[in-house]
Amino acid sequence: MSHSHSDTVPLHASSQSDIDEIENLINASVLSGPATVRPARPPSPARAQIPVSSSPFLPSSIPPEPPQKLSNQKFVPAAAPAPAPAPPPLSAAASGVPRQGVEATGFGPPSNTLTEPVWDTVKRDMSRIVSNLKLVVFPNPYREDPGKALRDWDLWGPFFFIVFLGLVLSWSASVKKSEVFAVAFAVLAAGAVILTLNVLLLGGHIIFFQSLSLLGYCLFPLDVGALICLLKDNVILKVIVVSVTLAWSSWAAYPFMSTAVNPRRKALALYPVFLMYVSVGFLIIAID
Amino acid sequence: MDPSQPVVENYANPKTCFFHVIFKAAALAFYILSALFFDNFVIIFVVTVFLAALDFWVVKNVSGRILVGLRWWNEIDDNGESVWRFECLDQESLARMNKKDSWLFWWTLYLTAVAWTILGIFSLIRFQADYLLVVGVCLTLSIANIVGFTKCRKDAKKQIQAFATQTIASRFSSTIQSAFSVV
Repeated sequence: MSHSHSDTVPLHASSQSDIDEIENLINASVLSGPATVRPARPPSPARAQIPVSSSPFLPSSIPPEPPQKLSNQKFVPAAAPAPAPAPPPLSAAASGVPRQGVEATGFGPPSNTLTEPVWDTVKRDMSRIVSNLKLVVFPNPYREDPGKALRDWDLWGPFFFIVFLGLVLSWSASVKKSEVFAVAFAVLAAGAVILTLNVLLLGGHIIFFQSLSLLGYCLFPLDVGALICLLKDNVILKVIVVSVTLAWSSWAAYPFMSTAVNPRRKALALYPVFLMYVSVGFLIIAID
Repeated sequence: MDPSQPVVENYANPKTCFFHVIFKAAALAFYILSALFFDNFVIIFVVTVFLAALDFWVVKNVSGRILVGLRWWNEIDDNGESVWRFECLDQESLARMNKKDSWLFWWTLYLTAVAWTILGIFSLIRFQADYLLVVGVCLTLSIANIVGFTKCRKDAKKQIQAFATQTIASRFSSTIQSAFSVV
């Protein structure tokens, strides 16, 4: 699961100054006497700080001085109310730019997230789920560059969707409910893993968790279809709904899978995905 | 009262410790006790796995940070490579971490994994494949947290060593410098 570091003002060119400030702090604390402390750089634009923080890595607004004795006992969530910066919801456009400034350091904003209140973490994760869902399942301008779009993969969305699908299928079944649920869950989970391995073995370039995350998010249309089929028991309606949602799922999964492999092996990579979604579709239709 | 008695530390973050333990205990308890009351596998599965997932999230995002000052996550950089990041608080704060907190943190982490393994062996003996599925999922989550935090801790120790050697080296060189400037 990845994290966004855009919970304060986005870092642009200040990452270098962050590294220098950190070195200043280390030098200041270690050397005494003939120390060569580098001249302080002008602080980068002021950002909202969590009032109590635990590390000297909080850069810009702290002038270089011996590290303060900061208490770190107080960042129990209940104690840090309004002043804590609320992270802006992750949007597809914003995720590319601030990330670049942060990758270089690994020091600055991540320690802010070490001390953020729990509610902020929850909100950040929820907004990540929503944005990933929108990226994967709905038409959007980032589909040409799929690797970039699902950069912020997370497994919570897929987890909820798989469990939801299993629950709906189990509810629709009149007999053997437990087996239906277990089979649906196991097939989907194992299927996602095996499909990812398939792409990797075909010589494709895909990141394991990113692909798991993608295949999970693409289940969303089938979830919707299964819910509709649960509510209305007409066979013809079921067939239509399942075909539509199946096509939607495959359309959602197509760009990511196809760009990951050699063009000559595209069909080899895509066919098992399609097969898995078709079998889930059959499961939805056949349950009564 | 004996004035020379050493002061016993109390838990510094009791609420966090409580949440750290409660979800693990609830998942284990529900799994074990539900077999006595429910006959419905679906409910057992969903509730147990949900509690285990909540516990994973709490440990990774909340109690890891607060009780032991460690954090790990995965990023995908601009080249499309996946990078695992391990992060810890600075050395001072790490040294000031409550011992009881971190003891509780690590021990409950290991004990849960052991408990799930034992339950898994039981269900294997009884040839219950679907319960094995539940145990498998919960075990995967516990092991993921253990591996992540252990790597974090090793990283932190390496950082301490690097920092210490750098400190010693720079003090040494500055001492020599001042010695030579006096001569």
